[in-house]
Amino acid sequence: MNTATQTLAGTPWKQGVKDAIPLLGGYIPVAISFGLISVQSGFSVLETVLISAFIYAGASQFLFVAMAASGAPLWFVVIMTLLINARHVVYGPNLSPYLNQDKKWLPLMHGLTDQIFALAHARLPQLPDQARIGWYTGAAVLAWLSWIAGTALGAIAGGELTQRWPLINDILPFALPALFFVLIVPRCNNRLWTLTIALSAVSAVILKVSGYPNVAIPLAALCGAALFYALKNQRDMGGQ
Amino acid sequence: MEMSMWLALASIAIGTYLIRLLPYIWMKRSLAKRQTEDGVGSMPTWLTILGPTMIAAMFGTSLVPAHSGALSWLATGVGILVTYGVWTRTRSMGLPILFGVLAFGIVMLFFVF
Repeated sequence: MNTATQTLAGTPWKQGVKDAIPLLGGYIPVAISFGLISVQSGFSVLETVLISAFIYAGASQFLFVAMAASGAPLWFVVIMTLLINARHVVYGPNLSPYLNQDKKWLPLMHGLTDQIFALAHARLPQLPDQARIGWYTGAAVLAWLSWIAGTALGAIAGGELTQRWPLINDILPFALPALFFVLIVPRCNNRLWTLTIALSAVSAVILKVSGYPNVAIPLAALCGAALFYALKNQRDMGGQ
Repeated sequence: MEMSMWLALASIAIGTYLIRLLPYIWMKRSLAKRQTEDGVGSMPTWLTILGPTMIAAMFGTSLVPAHSGALSWLATGVGILVTYGVWTRTRSMGLPILFGVLAFGIVMLFFVF
């Protein structure tokens, strides 16, 4: 990945907002769907918006409203949703070398979603130290607000919106794979990393298509990491 | 919403925040401690590998079309190829994503809908 420090044309938070704009293509349609499903499951508009504002984790929010509406025991709902979010444990540590001691990072961790992690993991090493908190704030706050606004829109007028513009749900979410691709492709600069990345991505596709969407990300990442170690050991032994 | 549901919501919200926050604080302290002890504060190797593989896995899961079918996969393939083509020329983020979404949308509009 390109780690050369870049100078910023505008203020850091503006650059963060600009870099996070592609996320909206994925966030808003999914948030509209969540708002619609949540209201249909019996939650009010305010409750739906509060769920998005405070839980702020897509898959677990869908699971929360579905399980709560089906009458599942609440302790079980809490455990299942937290298990889905458990993959987030590796995000903060991966970014920590790029973050300074500023206490503002603590509340900002609320915004550390899958997409913001992927974006920050690629962009923070390229930014000067003093610009990082501003950049992250701009990117994370835009993503958070778009998630809340999309949820409110879905809760208030989701049915009408998806009827009038059915393509919103089908085309705009492609911005997410395109974003992840642009973030990960610079890493494929040698055979070891190319094979590792390819196996992680292919395993994730297979797991999701096979009906395991919630474990696909951590399991596929572990498959890729296992291949990385296997190939590296083979190379190290061959070099001895 | 009943009180028990509010409690569940608060537990999930606090739990999710702590899942994001505590490992960060742990690593920050661990790096500072290592730096004090041996002058070098480096992350464990497994963690530096898991970061990119998680992003690759997110890429994989997001690739799967909502309505799976040969033409949706064709649109996905074209979208990624166009994204890659524009990225090799520009090495930027915005334009490759924009053209990738456009290409995906055009294939979907012409062949799927």
